[in-house]
Amino acid sequence: SVTEIRSGFAAIRGNIQSRDPIRTLSILSYPHSLHKVKSSDRCCITHHLFNFYVDKVFKHCKTEDSYVNRKISSIANSFLSVKRKLGQCHEQNKCMCGQESAEKFKQVLANYEGLNVTSAAMKSLGELDILLDWMEKSP
Amino acid sequence: SGELHCSLPNPRNVHFESLNMKNVLHWSAPEGIGDGVLYRVKYSVYGVGKWIRKPECRNINRTWCDLSSETSDYEEQYYASVKAFLNGMCSDWMETTRFNPLTDTKIDPPMVSVSSTEKSISIILTAPEKWKRSPEGESISLLQVYPGLQYNVSVLNKKTRKRWFFSISNNTLVVPWLEPGTAYCVSAQIYVTTPLLHSGFSKEYCIATLKDKTA
Amino acid sequence: DTSLPAPQNISILSTNMKHFLTWSPVIVQGETVRYSVEFQGEYERDYANESWIPICECSLVTATVCNITEDISATVAYNLRVRADVGARRSEWGTLKGFFNRITTSLTPPVMKVIAAGYHLLVELEDMGPAFQFCVLYWKKGQESRMQQKVMKEISSVVHLDTMEAGPDYCVKAQTYVEAINRSSSFSQIQCVRAQGSRSMWLV
Repeated sequence: SVTEIRSGFAAIRGNIQSRDPIRTLSILSYPHSLHKVKSSDRCCITHHLFNFYVDKVFKHCKTEDSYVNRKISSIANSFLSVKRKLGQCHEQNKCMCGQESAEKFKQVLANYEGLNVTSAAMKSLGELDILLDWMEKSP
Repeated sequence: SGELHCSLPNPRNVHFESLNMKNVLHWSAPEGIGDGVLYRVKYSVYGVGKWIRKPECRNINRTWCDLSSETSDYEEQYYASVKAFLNGMCSDWMETTRFNPLTDTKIDPPMVSVSSTEKSISIILTAPEKWKRSPEGESISLLQVYPGLQYNVSVLNKKTRKRWFFSISNNTLVVPWLEPGTAYCVSAQIYVTTPLLHSGFSKEYCIATLKDKTA
Repeated sequence: DTSLPAPQNISILSTNMKHFLTWSPVIVQGETVRYSVEFQGEYERDYANESWIPICECSLVTATVCNITEDISATVAYNLRVRADVGARRSEWGTLKGFFNRITTSLTPPVMKVIAAGYHLLVELEDMGPAFQFCVLYWKKGQESRMQQKVMKEISSVVHLDTMEAGPDYCVKAQTYVEAINRSSSFSQIQCVRAQGSRSMWLV
């Protein structure tokens, strides 16, 4: 559940964010904050971003710290079960993708590919609270 | 001006202390340095390309700087940094960890007002307000910032020493069918489930139910 | 030299979202056998080259049980395995037969105590951890059709349910609910109490 993702992230947030020295670029918030996304596109963007984290991010976040690795595993597996639920919404057409969400997600991928893969993955993981805060904000 | 040598020991423990989103940067003086140290402060919005100096905290000798105004958008995250100067020497810029006002702020307990009748007490709770630039500024309750905000209310019967808890979402609670002429002490706490945040319990507000006129 | 037999009878004990891996000891006369446990979630199987993750609290331990609760923190299928070490000798991995998904944890009814304090109906519930919510049902005896419900997330000792009229008995039962697996326990025993105008009484 999202609560468990939050508590898992809170346990390693300082460690992960300290591995990201780049202050001037954000994967999720650059150039526009997620909060600028229309509420009608929220489900689609959330679905895209969960796929993004599962497919691209977590596998490049292995660290030398076994505690951190275990927490990343629990976040990744929690993402997997939430991703499955979002996938069901997508299949039942309850998660419509508009032009804006396509644009926003393209930007996220561009930001991601603009860095070397490990830096991009670690920065994305360090921005999980940006995603969670936005997801849990009331529409 | 003369060439600055950045070999001064660094400010230590640079961090934000935040209460109801009043976000103040704090640090400790460099180790082993006497008086006369001055500091400069800068901050940046995470993901945006520039550091911004805080003029009101330029060449200050205190070890805090109020950045509430600069960090008031709680949909953003921030870094801040401090540099020390003494006798033509300076330290490195020392940064905070990434600061997320939404999850990193502490919350005051709610304000509690209590009234009583012969057999009941009525409790009204008020969530604290988000920090604002000036008293005339728009008041934003933390209830608006954290829509899932709830209250835990503790009611202590001073005679029996029994304590009951109520968990409520709205801000009023009436406890009926109480014993006349008895003192009850009320305190309340705020809790938010996402993100997970708790205030402490407020101090106790005690009130007595009126005496039973028929007795 | 891997002549050391792999641990056998590997199984899971899971109650109220607390999960333990257990196995039979490997017997080597005059030697201390140590065990190490690893887990693999669905993510590791499908996206991370079927990698395994060690549980350091259960690395080279002599116990034949490991608390895996912290690591089984998603509602997906997990693989678990154990191996034995004696000095330089190491066994093959013994792997749990089938997957473990926490959705299968057994949920017990909550320990509940109902209190009548004057005209007030109160309930005391055991704190079972952050994953648990409580659904409390209460009604006037004989009026089961007009049952009322209160859902409690934060448990702090004695919680106020409602006020009672003098005279009738009030009955209460509770069950736990775990949002993460979307399952509830069975209900606790019903407890009935009576309000003011009589000594605070327990009526079962």
